[in-house]
Amino acid sequence: MFEVRTRWGKVLLQVVVTLLVIPYLFPLVVMVQGSLAGEGWGNYVAVFNVPGFGQFFLNSAIIAIGVIVIVYVVAMLASFGFAKLNIRSREVYFWMLLACLTLPEVVLLAPLFATDTSLGLYDTYWAVILPLAALQVPFAVLLTRNFIEGIPNELFEAARVDGANSVRGFWYLVIPLTRPIAAAIVIFTLIGAWNDYLMPLVFLQQQSLQTITLIPQFFIGQFADDQTKVLASAVLTAIPEVVAYLLLQRLFERGLSAGAIK
Amino acid sequence: MAITGASTGVTPDRTRALRSTASGGGKKRRRLSQPPGLPWILPALILSVGLLYYCIGYTGVISTWNWDGVSPNPQSVGLNNYIQVFQDPVFWDAIEHTVIFFVVTFVIQTFLGLLFATLLHSKIRLAVVYKVIIFVPVVLAPAIMAPVFRQLFAPDGQFNWVLAHVGLGFLQQPWIGQTSTSLAVVMSITIWEFTGVTFILYFAAMGQIDQSVLEAARIDGASNWRTLTSIIWPGVRGTTVALGVLSAIGALKTFDVPWLVTSQGGPVYSTEFLGTYIYRITIPLDRVGYGAAISIILLVVAVIMAIIIQRRGREREGSVD
Repeated sequence: MFEVRTRWGKVLLQVVVTLLVIPYLFPLVVMVQGSLAGEGWGNYVAVFNVPGFGQFFLNSAIIAIGVIVIVYVVAMLASFGFAKLNIRSREVYFWMLLACLTLPEVVLLAPLFATDTSLGLYDTYWAVILPLAALQVPFAVLLTRNFIEGIPNELFEAARVDGANSVRGFWYLVIPLTRPIAAAIVIFTLIGAWNDYLMPLVFLQQQSLQTITLIPQFFIGQFADDQTKVLASAVLTAIPEVVAYLLLQRLFERGLSAGAIK
Repeated sequence: MAITGASTGVTPDRTRALRSTASGGGKKRRRLSQPPGLPWILPALILSVGLLYYCIGYTGVISTWNWDGVSPNPQSVGLNNYIQVFQDPVFWDAIEHTVIFFVVTFVIQTFLGLLFATLLHSKIRLAVVYKVIIFVPVVLAPAIMAPVFRQLFAPDGQFNWVLAHVGLGFLQQPWIGQTSTSLAVVMSITIWEFTGVTFILYFAAMGQIDQSVLEAARIDGASNWRTLTSIIWPGVRGTTVALGVLSAIGALKTFDVPWLVTSQGGPVYSTEFLGTYIYRITIPLDRVGYGAAISIILLVVAVIMAIIIQRRGREREGSVD
């Protein structure tokens, strides 16, 4: 966007960008450096030797996968309905769904707590999966509906003329054609579910069910004031996220910008 | 969100027009070609609208109770909780922090996101590396980074160390532990975490700007500054509105960072937000009815904010076209 012709101008631009990103790198450097202070790699060994460390990751994965599957299925069905099928007063339903986007999680705590305990869902994966999925569906529908509306109607009509009902149309047209936006939804939902802190904090009491976002607290309890081990656990928790991002970099960026590009 | 939201307001008409020309325009014909869709949207409605509206309704009911969350027969107090909320100084503190937080983080993020997007659209070497560095904070869970920031901003932490080593040692202070700076800590962490999103959205939006317009402007002798203010900034207005809505709602939802970094709401409630206050009232203090009343107020504010920003953004877009 900026056009710089002179050599010095180019160097200057490069220097400016480099200086500007340093603050973004700094906390990561602090994290790694802090985790190696004191006993060095011994901190990592100590963290690994805490029984049940792997369980946090497994729990986060189970919850994230559960949320992703529910959001994907439900959002795809609904977006197809909204975009291409006949629904009386469809915009009313759509705005009812969109209004959920403004909903802060913390508002749900009291009613969910009361309902979960009476249904026996408290302290199970479902207590976290269901509300997280419910909160993620509206945005997924918003993105996918726009995307499906871009698919020409002629395609669906041709399928209908050939005798395909809407179920077949959905299976053979919508599912394959929405792959790009589906990737975006998966990434979005993954970040939302994997990084969520409040729901697991309130609804998962047994340590064997708790997620990675509760690890720092767990280790603060385990190692009292030994900040180096807490930081080592933070590094170990961050690594899978950074690796996933680096491997799927394009997908992550496209996923997050999908809302802005029509 | 705002852009897509705005466009869904338009597309039904457009697609309807297209559809009617494609199918010959007859009303009967159109209905024939469109099978019923209600069963398809039902699962989403049951899950999201059903669950969430049920919770909101339930919260509304609880908000008229004086309830500790477990007692089997809560005592009904009518609108007393609401009256109490409006007289609660901590509630107004939380509102004030939310407003300051929204304005500051939104302005700085917009500026930084725009700056990074512009710079990385210019011919910069190793652009991918910079992109990754700005974006990694987005994928890291705030809860995981909280201990890192507690360490970073501690009195003997690395931030004070850097200040001392660049000759600003007189600025050293306990950033988290004092009321005058704890809110700034929360805001700077949020900016660190969220700039990647702002940047990516602007980066994508700038890619959509017609290159020939930029070239024409340059041939006419427009400076970099001029193209930025006259072409790029108006060209990404939709993104700015979307980010405005996102930041406003994000400010109202803020919980993780103030709760975990600035010791659960900060010294003397100095980083109390609506989210942390509702949590504190509801869970550790067991005043579930009172928390529910604040929740309902929070919801009303969130919906009103979203509508206002959306409206104003669209108006401005309209006046430019």
